[in-house]
Amino acid sequence: MTDQTTQLTFAEIDQTVLDTLKPPGKGYWLVILLLFAGVIAGAACWLHQILVGVGLAGMNNPINWGTYLINFVFWVGIAHSGTLISAILHLFRAGWRNPIARAAETMTVFAVCIAGLYPFIHLGRVWVVNYMLPLPNQRLLWPNFQSPLMFDVVAISTYLTVSSLFWYTGMLPDLAVIRDRATGLRKKIFTLLSFGWTGRLEHWRHYTRGYLFFAALATPLVISVHSVVSWDFALGIIPGWHTTIFAPYFVAGAIHSGLAMVITLMIPIRKMFKYEKIITRDVLENVAKTIILTGMIVGFAYGTEFFIAWYSHNPVEQEMFRWRAVGEYAYGFWIMVGCNVAIPMLLFFRAVRRHLGWLFVISIFVNIGMWYERFVIIVGGVAHDFMPHAWGRYTPTATEFGIMFGAFCLFFFLYVLFAKHMPSVSMTEMKETVHEGGHHGA
Amino acid sequence: MALNAAHKLKKAHRYIMGLFTDEDQAAAAVQAMETSAYTLHRVHSPLPSEKLARARKKKKSMVGWFTLTGGIIGFFSGFALAAFTATRWDLVVGGKPIVALIPFFIVGFEFTILFAVFGNVIGLLTQTNLPSLKNLEYYDPRCSGFHYGLLASCEPGQEDGLKQFFTQKGAEITVFEEKG
Repeated sequence: MTDQTTQLTFAEIDQTVLDTLKPPGKGYWLVILLLFAGVIAGAACWLHQILVGVGLAGMNNPINWGTYLINFVFWVGIAHSGTLISAILHLFRAGWRNPIARAAETMTVFAVCIAGLYPFIHLGRVWVVNYMLPLPNQRLLWPNFQSPLMFDVVAISTYLTVSSLFWYTGMLPDLAVIRDRATGLRKKIFTLLSFGWTGRLEHWRHYTRGYLFFAALATPLVISVHSVVSWDFALGIIPGWHTTIFAPYFVAGAIHSGLAMVITLMIPIRKMFKYEKIITRDVLENVAKTIILTGMIVGFAYGTEFFIAWYSHNPVEQEMFRWRAVGEYAYGFWIMVGCNVAIPMLLFFRAVRRHLGWLFVISIFVNIGMWYERFVIIVGGVAHDFMPHAWGRYTPTATEFGIMFGAFCLFFFLYVLFAKHMPSVSMTEMKETVHEGGHHGA
Repeated sequence: MALNAAHKLKKAHRYIMGLFTDEDQAAAAVQAMETSAYTLHRVHSPLPSEKLARARKKKKSMVGWFTLTGGIIGFFSGFALAAFTATRWDLVVGGKPIVALIPFFIVGFEFTILFAVFGNVIGLLTQTNLPSLKNLEYYDPRCSGFHYGLLASCEPGQEDGLKQFFTQKGAEITVFEEKG
């Protein structure tokens, strides 16, 4: 943690965060309105698909997993760094995560919500969603728990529940801070939301213990969730999918994309909410350094896939990877490699990773690259499998683009609403950081 | 000397809170109060404080037992659910077992985490006695900012002594009005 942060007083921390909750101006409501319009547009596309049928999407035979599954994996991936920052770095006592932990946790919760929508959208006949629940159907058949798709339902539901509870529990002391400084209706609302938290020794004693257990449980969960998502593919005997590297490869990729999204969100929020003393350049630089690491891991994974294909002497696997690099979707592969591996290496230069503009642009590139990674894996896998006569092509339709646009708008809509009405930085954890630095008081 | 957190606040007593800006002073006041004639009911702080916890000689939280219990129930529930549903249609496919240990272990694992977290939350709520708006009685909102608050009581007529005690220890004073 920097000197700049540890020089803050408790009162300054509270005031900085509470200032972000002041009534917003017209610009804020305009942004909210535009995002809401985007959400409505996406919802209209989905409704149209429900009424007309899933044939409106570009999915076909053999490519029956398209942008809906790509976006599902993309958003689950985005969700992962929230738990990395809030849980794993908490266990490692990495103090630099404190200023961004709340924002990352919030990103996790909203991203899992968006991801959770996609299986419903992909179903087409959304009213038969009960087939995914552990209930017998009319022929007394139960879901098959040997299927990775059922693992996924269980894992994602668990992840949404756990990350939501973790997020809200961590927010309780901050909600009490807001309650204690609010008046009128806002005070009543925050009194209810804070559950009567008063920071008693008894509260802290159990809270710190409970929070530690939350972190300890969320850590294996986050690794298991994206491993389970990867098994949706790896347990299918499709060339390009059926490989043991998928679980760690997906987990690293998820963290890579999530960290990039943290930077994409943090840099504008830092500017808008005047968080310069809290979310310092050092904090963002640490995230950037972690992106270098995850970028190298995904780069290694891309290379390993090619090595395995060559070493296997399996002509189908070798053809798959040859086609991936030079075939019809080669542009996706090279966007993926460029954005996820090559461009993040610019962060090796200190001047680049401390320059907010560069950092923001690189984070956008990584987000694009990670979306294309899922495109390359999901579409590329089934487009070019064993039998040449079954090879196919896929182009997303306007309905799919509309739903995707709506989903992005929904994510930012929820996030912007949250950032202005709830504490977007954990005041308590910032106070702990400052306290450890030996400063406190008014 | 009653330092029980669950101590019921008696209406006949007078309640005074000492507000410290320094953690060490607050911890010293907690220790000094043990040998005084006053009763310390609560200690509030804006962040977790090891020093205050030590001064009040608090034991480890019991929340972990709730978490562990939840986790054990979760593992067996998840595994049992997967095994039960598999036996409802016990057609052997490809010579593979009906009750397959490896895939069902994954379901068991996810349920372990889910139920352990439920146990954790139940533990937290029951141990901290939340939600409860009664906690806001005899509470000074400055305690969530940067003050450490010690709520103490005394017999009627001893208020000045208690105020002096806090003042000597370096605290500001909040005197609570008698309720109803």
